[in-house]
Amino acid sequence: MSYQGYVIAAYLVFAVVLLWDYVAPRIRIRQLLRTARLLAARRAAAVASSSDNPAGELPR
Amino acid sequence: MNPVVRWFHQLGSPPYFDRFAARWAPWAHGVGLLVMAWGIWQGLFVVPADYQQGDSFRILYIHVPSAWMSLAVFALMAVYAAIALVWRIKLCEILAMACAPIGAGFTLITLATGSIWGKPMWGTWWDWDPRLTTELVLLFLYLGIIGLYHAIDDRRAAARAAGLLAIVGVVLLPVIRYSVDWWNSLHQGQTINLLGESKMDPSMLPPLWAMVIGTHVWFVGSLLARARADNLWREAGKDWVRKLGLTAPVEAKR
Repeated sequence: MSYQGYVIAAYLVFAVVLLWDYVAPRIRIRQLLRTARLLAARRAAAVASSSDNPAGELPR
Repeated sequence: MNPVVRWFHQLGSPPYFDRFAARWAPWAHGVGLLVMAWGIWQGLFVVPADYQQGDSFRILYIHVPSAWMSLAVFALMAVYAAIALVWRIKLCEILAMACAPIGAGFTLITLATGSIWGKPMWGTWWDWDPRLTTELVLLFLYLGIIGLYHAIDDRRAAARAAGLLAIVGVVLLPVIRYSVDWWNSLHQGQTINLLGESKMDPSMLPPLWAMVIGTHVWFVGSLLARARADNLWREAGKDWVRKLGLTAPVEAKR
């Protein structure tokens, strides 16, 4: 009896779980760094707009 | 101060740990993958087939290392959780919680490959055998810890609660280990002995040891990567994370 199908299925499960284990934290890190970059850009924009209008006057 | 002690203190600093994990996780994954690739190649194509089980025994080279990892990772998680509970070290909380999904992954591999191996050898995909059932309970414990950690908003309180569950769950480990001795089990008894003589032919052992070492090194890479992600999540909003976010494209190229 050939057990090739069982062996391939078992190694496939192993490969898929390890691939998920490799990819999942990297996707999360990329998302977190992207959020940090957006936050930094938003804060920089807020600082820039407050320095353009230090008295906080309303535009006419 | 002793350089090793100083390094341990530095590692507790979130930005330092981030740099450390970003640097060493890819190396650990790479080395682990290379060692496992050699073990798989040997296990699939070089080692002779078993005289009773034929080629189906080759599943052993992923099943046994994964089973050992499922137990070892849980034990390590409990150690980190205990240190975090006693000394309130934030990094240990992070490391303990990073262990849970990796251990769950290895437990899932153990159960799935065992089931696939069981079908041609036992004639069934599943049996409520003591070893299989306790390993399934281990998977539920891992999932419970992950769920509990994400169910509480306060990260530190969540890690303490989940860590406590990990510490209590350690009682399951000897039950899994000795289940084949304590009860009549469909699962075979201990075949591989770390210190004494194994029941397997010596020619079949080198790929197994390679897989054991490979999965351990791979685990180090995964632990660092997952701990880094959790560390960044907890520190989101801090200046060093914002600066890191601004340099992220540069880091991606590295």
